Amino acid sequence: MIKNPFRNRTRATLAIIGIAIGIATIVALGMVTGGLQSSTQSTLKAGSAEITVTKIGSGNFGSSGGVLDESLVTDLKNTNGVKDTAGILRVNSNVSTSSGGSGFGSMGGFLVNGIDSSKLALVGIDSVNGTIFTNGSSNEIIIGKTVAQNLNKTVGSTIDIYGTEFEVTGIFESGNFIYDTGAFTSLSTLQNLTNNTGKVSYIQVKVNDNANASQVSKTIQDERPNDLSATTAVDQANRINQSLGMIDTASWAISLLAIVIGGVGVINTMIMSVFERTREIGVLKAVGWKDRRILGMILGESIILTLVAAVVGIILGIVAVEIIFKLFITSQSFEAVLTMDTLLKAFGVALLVGIVGGLYPAYRASRLAPTEALRYE
Amino acid sequence: MTEENVIEIHNLQKTYDKGKIKALNGIDLEIKKGEFISIMGPSGSGKSTLLNMIGALDRAEEGTIKVAGIDLMKTRDLSEFRSQEIGFVFQMHNLVPNLSVLENVEIPMYETRVKSEEMRRRALELLEAVGLKDKADKNPTKLSGGERQRVAIARALVNHPSIILADEPTGALDSKTGDVILNLLKSLHSKEQVTLVMVTHEPYVAEMADRILHVLDGKINNSS
Repeated sequence: MIKNPFRNRTRATLAIIGIAIGIATIVALGMVTGGLQSSTQSTLKAGSAEITVTKIGSGNFGSSGGVLDESLVTDLKNTNGVKDTAGILRVNSNVSTSSGGSGFGSMGGFLVNGIDSSKLALVGIDSVNGTIFTNGSSNEIIIGKTVAQNLNKTVGSTIDIYGTEFEVTGIFESGNFIYDTGAFTSLSTLQNLTNNTGKVSYIQVKVNDNANASQVSKTIQDERPNDLSATTAVDQANRINQSLGMIDTASWAISLLAIVIGGVGVINTMIMSVFERTREIGVLKAVGWKDRRILGMILGESIILTLVAAVVGIILGIVAVEIIFKLFITSQSFEAVLTMDTLLKAFGVALLVGIVGGLYPAYRASRLAPTEALRYE
Repeated sequence: MTEENVIEIHNLQKTYDKGKIKALNGIDLEIKKGEFISIMGPSGSGKSTLLNMIGALDRAEEGTIKVAGIDLMKTRDLSEFRSQEIGFVFQMHNLVPNLSVLENVEIPMYETRVKSEEMRRRALELLEAVGLKDKADKNPTKLSGGERQRVAIARALVNHPSIILADEPTGALDSKTGDVILNLLKSLHSKEQVTLVMVTHEPYVAEMADRILHVLDGKINNSS
């Protein structure tokens, strides 16, 4: 039974390729969604702020929208349920990336965040390789791991930002892909440098351990309905998850397509195989094989064919994602992740294709009249 | 059914092509246990159809047919009967090309409860009886026509059937090889005490049997 599906090598290979491409697509999409999911989860790191407050009408992180008055940072801290707040000014560095490398974090410079150095935990930066910058110092900066890699900077290197030389004192890895492709420096330094004295782009709010982040977010929002927009990290994650959901839906649609196309391919392959082996099936019946055993044999062959296709497809998918990531995405903070779910789905789809595609040919084989089959030339 | 009759057929009728062709037109036949019978007749006389009826490869429309005590007209699933009671030897050896010689002989035992070691032992024993033990692991496509037919005979005997049905077993072989096969069949017939029913249209082959049946137009014309 194991050898049978491969008697006609060309036909088996073509059928396997057909199914394998479908499986490879499922695996590749699964790996990308898996990667996005894990990077979303790491943004919800313990210890970091749960709520982001921006000026109403500006983007998520306020990088393009209006700025907020720094006094709000203290005001919000007094809101019921708030443990701590941090004001962050975010600007785009004008560093040109002549060092090459494409992908995130190197397109048109990177994001420079100004923050009080004591509040770094609120943005998920717990440890720094090197030392953190000093507040008020004019030329110290810590950079994300990805920036360090893309710009080829180490501790002690200098970076030019708004015409001023900054010394890299540390390199951090927060696990948050947006931060890791940016840099942090003293808030006041950045405010002075960019003529934003007393201004911040957004405020990170950490709530008390026993407080409900959504509740606090709503309170902040309700107190200044025309001024502020507050979103919780959970909201953001949900929004990302919604997009991931769309990829997931697409992946299921492709799975369905793979089942249909692969199924038709398998039906064709197996019908041809049954057709060619009519006489042999007649012999098996003559020597006493039950219809059930013949049905099982053909169905089994079909499933073996698709499971081989699943293995080929999984390898193909992994290799494709690796190549795409190597060529186009240099960011280390975003990695494709092959989850057990994806593997199970790939094998599940293959199994389904095997059963769906094999059932009809197997039924036909089992119903062959032995005398007719034996007469078959 | 008497004790010694392994096959009892009365007024057996079979038509093809929606009744247009009468393949069997009232066959009456009794074959004793252990007999060697030859069936002769021109092409289209119904001799192969008769053989297929005995082997439960096909069903008759009318009449009665009892083989090895089983009423073939009334039994629904005949696969077990075929597996236990009948051994087929076809004109074309009909071996499965991608299985080894040994595996080909083992095939009929898959439907039985025989353990795999026992299956192997029994298959090798029969391959030895037909003189092909040394080719057990070979692929049948590497064998000569006579050797393939010997494998088919081993396959037919593997489940200790009560009847061997041979449909022109030497038809595709040269006379010398054909004689080897016939002698083998005859010696196994007496050794294993199995009933042998053989279709042939060569008189000298038919002569080897205990009894010759002549089939014409779906009827048994005379027996000698």
